[in-house]
Amino acid sequence: MQKARIPALFFLLPAAVIFLIFFYWPLAQNLYLSFFQWNMVSPQMKFVGIANYLEVLGSMELLKNLGNTLMFIIVLLILNFLLPYLYSYILGHLVKKYNFFYRSALFLPSTISLAVASILFLWIYNPLAGPLSIILSGFGLESPRWFKENILVIIALSTIIGWKVFGYNLIVMLAAMVAVPKEMIEAAKLENASDWLIFKKIILPMTAPTAVYVFTITVVFGLQYVLVPVNMLTQGGPDQGSSNLVYIVYQYGFIFFQTGKAAAFAILTMLAYGAFLLLKNKYLDKRIHYEN
Amino acid sequence: MKSWKKTLAVICVGAMTLALAGCGADNTKKVSDGGKVKIEYWHVASESFGGTTVKELVADFNKTHPNIEVVEKYNPDMYKGLTQNLQAAMASGKNPDVVQMGWSYLNYAAENLKYTDIPKMINEKVPADKDFLEKNYLPNVLALAQTDDGKQIGIPYSVSVPVLFYNPEVFEKAGLDPNNPPKTWAEVQKAAKQIKEKTGIMGFFMQEYADNWAQQALIESNGGKMLKKENGKTKAAFDSPEAADAYQLLADMVKDGSGLHATNEEGFQAYLSGKLGMVCTTIGKRANFEKSAKFKVMVAPFPVFDGKQLQVPAGGNFLMVFSKDDAKQKAAWEFIKYLESPAALAKWSTGTGYLPPRKDVEQDPNGFKKMIEENKNIQAALSTMPNLVKWASFPGANGLQAEQMLIDVRDVILSGKQTAAEALHTTAEKVNSIL
Repeated sequence: MQKARIPALFFLLPAAVIFLIFFYWPLAQNLYLSFFQWNMVSPQMKFVGIANYLEVLGSMELLKNLGNTLMFIIVLLILNFLLPYLYSYILGHLVKKYNFFYRSALFLPSTISLAVASILFLWIYNPLAGPLSIILSGFGLESPRWFKENILVIIALSTIIGWKVFGYNLIVMLAAMVAVPKEMIEAAKLENASDWLIFKKIILPMTAPTAVYVFTITVVFGLQYVLVPVNMLTQGGPDQGSSNLVYIVYQYGFIFFQTGKAAAFAILTMLAYGAFLLLKNKYLDKRIHYEN
Repeated sequence: MKSWKKTLAVICVGAMTLALAGCGADNTKKVSDGGKVKIEYWHVASESFGGTTVKELVADFNKTHPNIEVVEKYNPDMYKGLTQNLQAAMASGKNPDVVQMGWSYLNYAAENLKYTDIPKMINEKVPADKDFLEKNYLPNVLALAQTDDGKQIGIPYSVSVPVLFYNPEVFEKAGLDPNNPPKTWAEVQKAAKQIKEKTGIMGFFMQEYADNWAQQALIESNGGKMLKKENGKTKAAFDSPEAADAYQLLADMVKDGSGLHATNEEGFQAYLSGKLGMVCTTIGKRANFEKSAKFKVMVAPFPVFDGKQLQVPAGGNFLMVFSKDDAKQKAAWEFIKYLESPAALAKWSTGTGYLPPRKDVEQDPNGFKKMIEENKNIQAALSTMPNLVKWASFPGANGLQAEQMLIDVRDVILSGKQTAAEALHTTAEKVNSIL
């Protein structure tokens, strides 16, 4: 048993080295940067202690960004978690014909790059000339300025991410759906259980592990995906209305070149995500029934 | 037998790890590639904004100068994006050679980036060209690329002015005369309203780029100012009734439904597809608009405020050099001289809409003279050149953040959340606290 230790460590080495160099070393550097004031090109870095943190914690910006972040997460959860869950159940158990067509058609948008999708949706949402405005004018309504109104901008940007990520999440949930033992469902059908009851009592518990995975990646990666459309279409606007915890780091770091404050925001963001993961572990993971 | 296989596997894994760590090694770039000096030219000319012209000019230069190779690189998000990229590149030690710098970044670049002092370089390394700048440029144009203390940090290249593009077909539909476009802002307001009421088409849009250029033209033409110097410190000056009135005019147009408040691309798309009557943006978009619109694009000079002096900030860019070594600096200077030659400037102005910084280009029979005579739109732009002022540039380490605050307040004012006077006042205080 002891002899297996040393080769085992060697096998772990490549992954451990990658983690150390690309994840933990930058994190340490970021923490170091957050105690300085530096614009990335000047040869002098001014030590300011925790001044950056105090500025960040006391600013109105942090509140607004937290609010926006929460709103982004809620809309993204609806589009990238609830919807794929429902659709995968329909595709997996209720639709009998042309499954392959639906799967391919719904997955296709995932293959298009986010930058291309952003330009596409900029045209679709054009309030004067875009397709959506033409449809709305058919009903006699004037198109809202999607990218210039506070809550609408978050919804518009989230639909871009939803359109792209939906397919991938759908396929993942579908795999879980299909893995539910057919005997259980057939037994329930024999007892005249409705589709909704089957979903609630059988499907939900059996697909819970995958569902929690999709939930977690939607929250954690959702904001990182949103960075592309926000950067290309609104640059955090209107009046910081689409800025969020991830974008504010980019804005302070690469638009204002105030790396110390950006690093402080980044550390706070990491703590926020850490808190989220802790809560998830405590409340969600306990209630999941894992196969083994 | 099996044990040696195991050890071999472990050794392979160890070697792989070392290779992974080693493959991040930096391939040091060679200065010359078989005798050729390679230099990088950074610009903001997208496909719809002169990109093809840039490629033509670079190809021409490379053909006629076989010992230099210029590689052009496009930077999205205009001069803000380019400055960000430039700063990031210089932070990692990889600086480009020739760069198009926006006028409003003059002070920021002068204070924060290590640029090549061009007049000094000419004196020391290419003394034959000592009089190049004085001979070919008027002093007020050269002054556009000088900092407040007179340092010439670049060569003026593209000059643009804000103008009023309009759609004559929409004008006719609304009962307006296309040959008699609005000359004052009051007339613009009336025309926009008439267009909306008679045709249902949106009347007016002012560009909303990631800068405040067009808004500065509006404010300063009404007698307001963007910045002022108090006791040697630069402070916000847009907190005045003149500035508030000018901005409120825009906000009122948006409020009564005849003005558009949307992203730039949406506004331009709407104009080109005939769903917008008037667009106030840079003459630099002239060539692209004329090519993509389904109607005849007409241009009127930037409207004035009744009884007040027209003042428009010069837009466009100037060329800066960031090369470190001798060979690259000389090659960069050769390239700049080529770009600033009358033939190349004429090509650049034709392909974009920018106005040339050198006087002799307009008289040059080979190029621009004919174009000016035939194209009324260019004439409209040239007529405002005597009223050129400097594009306000926020100094200091927080200059970029101050610019962002003005962009944010534009959204607040145009969406009607606050009156222009309140919003400008709050923002002026915010800007003064960080400058």
